[in-house]
Formats: sequence, C-alpha cells, structure tokens
Amino acid sequence: MFRGPAVPANQIHDFHPPIAPSGLYWVVPVPERALTISPDGNTFTLEMRNVPVVDQPRWPALDSIATPAQMTFKMVWKSTGEPVRYEDPSKHFRFIGTRASCQLEAQVEVPSVGFSWKSGPLNTSKSDFAILGDEVNGRYYDN
Amino acid sequence: MDLLTDSRRRHSRRDILKSSALAIFPLAVGSGNSSLPDQQPMTANGGTEPYPIPWLDKNGSHNQPAGANLEPSHIYHFKGRVARCSTFTGVGTDNQGNRIAFGSPTTDYGVMQGEFWGARAAQQGAFTHI
Repeated sequence: MFRGPAVPANQIHDFHPPIAPSGLYWVVPVPERALTISPDGNTFTLEMRNVPVVDQPRWPALDSIATPAQMTFKMVWKSTGEPVRYEDPSKHFRFIGTRASCQLEAQVEVPSVGFSWKSGPLNTSKSDFAILGDEVNGRYYDN
Repeated sequence: MDLLTDSRRRHSRRDILKSSALAIFPLAVGSGNSSLPDQQPMTANGGTEPYPIPWLDKNGSHNQPAGANLEPSHIYHFKGRVARCSTFTGVGTDNQGNRIAFGSPTTDYGVMQGEFWGARAAQQGAFTHI
C-alpha cells in the first residue's frame, strides 16, 4: 500500500505470509472449497478469510519489522481465450494455458496498531498481467 | 619407544576381562529400557509440505516473479492447475477514512491446485502465493 505514487519511498504497508523455513515463498495452503474452478476451466475464484499474514512496511529491508496481521480476500481470474505456452526445459517446467484478467477485493487488519483497510469492490481493481492453465514441473516434467 | 607395544604390556588378562564386561554394559541397559518399545513406529521421509522452486531470484529468494515466459508455480515437483497475476492497481479506505492505493508492478498473486511431491510420495493440495 502506498500513500501517493506507488514507489518504494511511499510504501506504508506490505502484507504477505512469512517465508517458510523451507524457503517456500509467501505460500499458504488453500482450505477446501476456498478455490472454485468453473467446469470449463475458464474462471478461477479464490476466496479466503482471516489468513494470517505479516505487515512489513519496510519490505524488502532485511530488518523490516513484521507485525502480525490478517487478510481476507476474493480474487477472480477469467480466461480471455488467447493461448499461452511457456516452457523451459533447463528449468523443467511447462505451462499451457491462456491469458486472463484478474481482479481482487481485500481487507486487512493489523490489530496491534489498530489499523484496518478495505479495498473497493472487485470490479474497481485490475491487473496488467494474468494467466491461467495447467503446469508441470520438476519430477513431473518428463513424464 | 614403541608406545603401542608398551601400552599393551600394561594390561593384564584381568584388566581386559573387566573392560569387556563394562563394554557390554550399555547394551544391557539399552535392552532393558522399557521406554523404547513404547515408541510409535516412524518414518523419516521429510515433511509433506511442498518444495520451493529450487533456483533463486535476483534477490536470493525462492520467489518467481509473474510475467511472460516465467514459471507460474511457486512449488516444485508439481502438476496441476495454476493461475497467476501481477501489476495490480486499486484503491481502498482505511479505518481513519483515508483513501490508500494498493498495487505495484511487483504486487503478484498465484494459486496452484493439483499433485505435488512431498515426503517421497504424491500429495494432493491447493496453495496460494499472496
């Protein structure tokens, strides 16, 4: 979040899960029924409530203090139908899918400092890059 | 002086017998410890959590930026459905009534659902990078 233009000097909050001891980066499990995929595979809807995250306003500074917070959000990807294929044999991954649109509505809370924030409705946000599809990587790449 | 030979000469047959008896003492104690048989059988296959992408980004993290020709998944040894997005723009309001924008070129999200490898076996699950 930024007060003013989105440049590092204006960053006032940064919400994300902690990095796992394994190095898994800002990744958390998705509860059952939180992710729905339309039968035709063209729409993904991810909706999660009260996800434990941290607020690190000075991220990515190494000494950026992490304050416990929670995040509730809904995110919707919709395929545009334009095919996309990314593959890198040296990195053992292959993605086959389509371009997409993605919109997000969210709210966050940092109880210890009495801060909360709520975004506008889903249709007031947009992302400049989005894709959805199928991927294989690692041990599944050659199979 | 041959220290090894000299050392051997200092030990009598009685000393050796004493030492042998002491040497098997830990084994005797171990077999008589009643707590060991109560332990649950266990494996040592690692955790069932997914592996991170093995290579590092420019910041030295197991993080994959979102973008064309970049890998969408954040977990390795994975096959399944993925969605990825970045460069968000939007606005919201805090509890003081201040309008605060969110999103930047590095604001990215992703979701992965399918099979992944953990604890030396195929696992099923869904994960999100937020």
